[in-house]
Amino acid sequence: MTDARAEPPTEVSPPPPPPPVQLTGSPTDFLKGVVGKRVKVRLVSGVDYQGVLSCLDGFMNIALEQTEEHVNGVVTNKYGDAFIRGNNVLYISALEAL
Amino acid sequence: MASQILPLELIDRCIGSRLWVIMKNEREFVGTLLGFDDYVNIVLEDVIEYENTAQGQKKTKLAHTLLNGSNIAIASFRL
Repeated sequence: MTDARAEPPTEVSPPPPPPPVQLTGSPTDFLKGVVGKRVKVRLVSGVDYQGVLSCLDGFMNIALEQTEEHVNGVVTNKYGDAFIRGNNVLYISALEAL
Repeated sequence: MASQILPLELIDRCIGSRLWVIMKNEREFVGTLLGFDDYVNIVLEDVIEYENTAQGQKKTKLAHTLLNGSNIAIASFRL
């Protein structure tokens, strides 16, 4: 049985919006921002891999999609998915705005 | 001693200004320092990569770049 004096449900205020992701310049934030973007990964050997960054970890192990292998600026190979072990990575550079 | 500066504090003071990074092999980078971590992985912006080869120096321009700290030898402030 319902209580007639029951108060109507109080207006629930919407939860506050999550704080905007504060991107400082740190390597961790760079890695968070660059996932899903086109990147160029250069290995210590000088070979480049360009593709869409699908995921990576703190060791700089990298999974790339639509990968193109560039040696001296010439495309020498293409891979659908490629895994790069982090110890070989010299740098990761964004090819589009973050 | 008046005041001691930790090595990483030196790099921290360069945030926002141009940094010159010399790698272990024949490679150098100059770019605006955005940040770094305890491994001295470095994030740079508006980067020029210099590759010193027997054929001469090769320049490459890069936008937002994360340099792997394991190959870095020297980092220095540059105007």
